[in-house]
Amino acid sequence: MKLRRRQRERLSLWLQYLAFVAVIAVVILAADWGRLREAFFRVDIIESMFPTVITVALRNTILYTLGAFAFGLVFGTILALMRLSRVAPYRWVATAYIELFRGLPALLVLFLVGYGIPIAFPEREIPGGVFGSIAIGLGLTAAAYMAETIRAGIQAVPKGQMEAARTLGMSHFTAMRTIVIPQAFRIVIPPLTNELILLTKDSSLAYVLGVTAQTIEVTKFGRDTLNDRVNATPLLVAGLTYLIITLPLSQVVRRLELRYAKAR
Amino acid sequence: MTFQSAVRRAGIVVAIAALAASAGCAKKEDGETQASGVKLVEKGKLTVCTHLPYAPFQSKDASGKVIGFDVDLMDLVAKDLGVEQKIVDTPFEGIKSGQDLNTGKCDAAAAGMTITEERQKVMNFSDPYFDATQAMLVKTGKAYKTLDDLRGKKLGVQAATTGRDYAKKVAEEKGLQLVEFEDLAAEQQALANGQIEAAINDLPVWTEYIKEHQGGFEVAAEFDTGEQYGFSVKKDGNPELLKKINDALAKAKQDGTYNTIYEKWIGKKPTA
Repeated sequence: MKLRRRQRERLSLWLQYLAFVAVIAVVILAADWGRLREAFFRVDIIESMFPTVITVALRNTILYTLGAFAFGLVFGTILALMRLSRVAPYRWVATAYIELFRGLPALLVLFLVGYGIPIAFPEREIPGGVFGSIAIGLGLTAAAYMAETIRAGIQAVPKGQMEAARTLGMSHFTAMRTIVIPQAFRIVIPPLTNELILLTKDSSLAYVLGVTAQTIEVTKFGRDTLNDRVNATPLLVAGLTYLIITLPLSQVVRRLELRYAKAR
Repeated sequence: MTFQSAVRRAGIVVAIAALAASAGCAKKEDGETQASGVKLVEKGKLTVCTHLPYAPFQSKDASGKVIGFDVDLMDLVAKDLGVEQKIVDTPFEGIKSGQDLNTGKCDAAAAGMTITEERQKVMNFSDPYFDATQAMLVKTGKAYKTLDDLRGKKLGVQAATTGRDYAKKVAEEKGLQLVEFEDLAAEQQALANGQIEAAINDLPVWTEYIKEHQGGFEVAAEFDTGEQYGFSVKKDGNPELLKKINDALAKAKQDGTYNTIYEKWIGKKPTA
């Protein structure tokens, strides 16, 4: 039987769909759903986790994330401006910082902040306690990433904007503050939102600092409940709880990207 | 053949290969079953799960070798089986939830683990090999003598341990603020830094810590919770190995090996 090229391609496409469906079917059929449900979906355990998982754990996750994000954003902006500075030592310091903190795992930085600062300054507490430690610890790492994003944003603003502002008699600083940076932030909102989503998950590293019933966040809450009930269901609940934050955020990014695409 | 159709053909091959692989899905079979019926996940090795550091039960010495009370006892079992002990360091949650044993990561768990009813549901325990007492450690010179003195203060516990469960049970009544740490090292660090006022863990663990930090810390209180440590194997999965462990323990207790190991790691055995 001789097929035409068109038909051949169509056949090949269908075969691939078929193979795809077959793989999924095999996985579904081969899995032991009864045992999976027993291990990951015990309704009584799910019920026992509410409302704490929302009122305490999720709330703390959001607080830690926002704290780290705010710290990172402010510090990251300063670093970005330093990297773009005409003063060479500023550039060196900023570059060294970014290279260093981008290379260090967030867990280690958080640990160094949480345990190192109390050793360095005995009997002093980091302002805000655990919240402060996490905001600084995770923020230090986030700032390194955000600095690069923000710098790219500033450089993406057409040069003419700065030139025009200077021609009007504005100082370099005022032009930066009122003309360039606002436009730059518009450009970097999508990547910054990505950073926010990454930070949401990184906030689970808070456990290294030691956790109390008041400062517990989602992942640790899930692991603790697993520990108490000797069942993995709490991990599933914890995982889904993160989606309450990250899915709407992803939507926001998509919307913004669309809007900017239209505005062009 | 055009490039596109070549890609498509390759796609089909990959899909079919994936299908075959998932259908076959052979479990890895590099383990062995010994003549005695004991199953081992790795040939010639008794693979043991633990969570480091937990001195004096298991910790790393200067050369990086894992040593301790549990290690010496499991070595007796390995010797009986004619194999070597291989120690896997893994989070305690995986050990106590039974998952490390279920998924074949290890043949047995030896992690200074208390035998509890909950844990017995997910794994089989050996005969008890150690009576554990919980104790509260404070910095020398602090005026905390009991848990009642700690009202409103921060008390450190280690995640997934019976010490934590004990503290949790009395936390509300005594107005304690529990701070949970992932491992012993972080708990000790926090106590040394003054992030917490006191810390609960197993007594021998603190005895060992005090030995290393002369004069800095003291045990303020002991809580006899009637706990006993046991080694564990996969639930209904390896009765032969469980029997071997029990036999080795019984033999060691009879011929004095147990006492020698006890004195080496824990100190003089209490006469009771």
